[in-house]
Amino acid sequence: MSTPRHAPSAFSTPASTTLFRRLTWEGTVPLEVRVDSKELPANSDRGLECYYIQAPRVSYLPLLVPEIKRFLMDVVFDEAAARLIKEEDWWFESEEGHLLKWHWPIGLIYDNHTIMSSARLNSSATEPAPLRLILHLASPPTEKLLLSPSTEACKQAFMGQLKEADFLRWGNTKRMTGLRKAEQDGLWEGIKEHNFEEYWRVASKITPTTTPMRSHSPPPSSSASMHTRPPSADPGSNPGPDRDGAYNVRSVPVRIYLPDGPVLQDLVPTMLDDGVAHTLSIFLTTHLPLLFSSDREPLAYALVQGVMVPPEAEMAWLGACMAGADGWVNVCIGLIREENLRFR
Amino acid sequence: MHEAHEALETYSKKDPVKVRFKAVGSAPIMKQNFYRITASNRFQAVIQFLRRELGWKAGDPLFTYINLAFSPAPDDTVSNLFKSFATDGHLIVNYSTTAAWG
Repeated sequence: MSTPRHAPSAFSTPASTTLFRRLTWEGTVPLEVRVDSKELPANSDRGLECYYIQAPRVSYLPLLVPEIKRFLMDVVFDEAAARLIKEEDWWFESEEGHLLKWHWPIGLIYDNHTIMSSARLNSSATEPAPLRLILHLASPPTEKLLLSPSTEACKQAFMGQLKEADFLRWGNTKRMTGLRKAEQDGLWEGIKEHNFEEYWRVASKITPTTTPMRSHSPPPSSSASMHTRPPSADPGSNPGPDRDGAYNVRSVPVRIYLPDGPVLQDLVPTMLDDGVAHTLSIFLTTHLPLLFSSDREPLAYALVQGVMVPPEAEMAWLGACMAGADGWVNVCIGLIREENLRFR
Repeated sequence: MHEAHEALETYSKKDPVKVRFKAVGSAPIMKQNFYRITASNRFQAVIQFLRRELGWKAGDPLFTYINLAFSPAPDDTVSNLFKSFATDGHLIVNYSTTAAWG
């Protein structure tokens, strides 16, 4: 089987990379939005005040506000109340009273809620369920929210995260600052319109990619030598095929979310000193040795984009294929319940 | 479950981290540039601390960057930023009155 050699671009990355990027992009989570009953204006239609959304994991709460507002105005509020709506005073809380951050991707908010529930001693085994959000219409706790609810502030935070990821990977932000303004805006537009092609048209310029040489599919016996041929010696390959490759980054942008915090961030090299690829399993035993010890069953599990990723997944691959739209691989750690430990 | 909760307790770092503030452009230089900041502090707290040291009010424009490269999220902790971006044992925080790399 000959591996096709193409110029680097989003559309010529190995099919599996594009597949996982699309799966990540298309991931959604169920949300139930309900206005705090104490704040529902008089004359509101109380039977209908719940709004359900299947929200993209890569989107943000401020981007859902227009849709929620339209619903409330059409269905729930009467004219007098509708005139008084001030979106800039809106804020969201989980059912448990946990303040939701405007600049966190929705998928992260959902997974973080899942792991918080896992650590609650009195909660029963949970099935995937809509995340119930309480929408408040006034008195936002601005000190704790850290950010105003405007889409502009959210966009700035998003750009900041992309730059931080760029800097972590390469020690500079040249790839981000090298984008034209229209291209940078195109990333955010892709999120707003939820358009995979629009987002990746620009993201492919700044996101490390896996290359055909790094594909882990087993070679047919006739080309067993393919693995031993170094990339630079391959006549058909591009000059420096791995220059922007996922395995060449200084560090993969990764954050660990623990139930009730803290959020942990550290350098995540793609390869370790002994020439071994940095896998999720090694990453977890290194950073959370008490939860993931190599000589016993783990006390916790790790979710990336809501999925229990196999422990042998390589951090470099996760950075190229399952990062969020802001460039970050968010690893959410949930506790395994006592009763489930026995059966592992 | 208890063992897991005990494990979780150990992951909150408390030791202070060295931060170096560097003025950009026409921003005033502080008398003292190096500070030890509690590792668990959010970056938002660092910004507020900087405002107080400079004697600036909440409305005065203040832009902060790490290594002249990016603006962290306000809830990024000093500990995490230090681990990822420290040079020579300290985290460089640039401050400016105008948006430079935003």
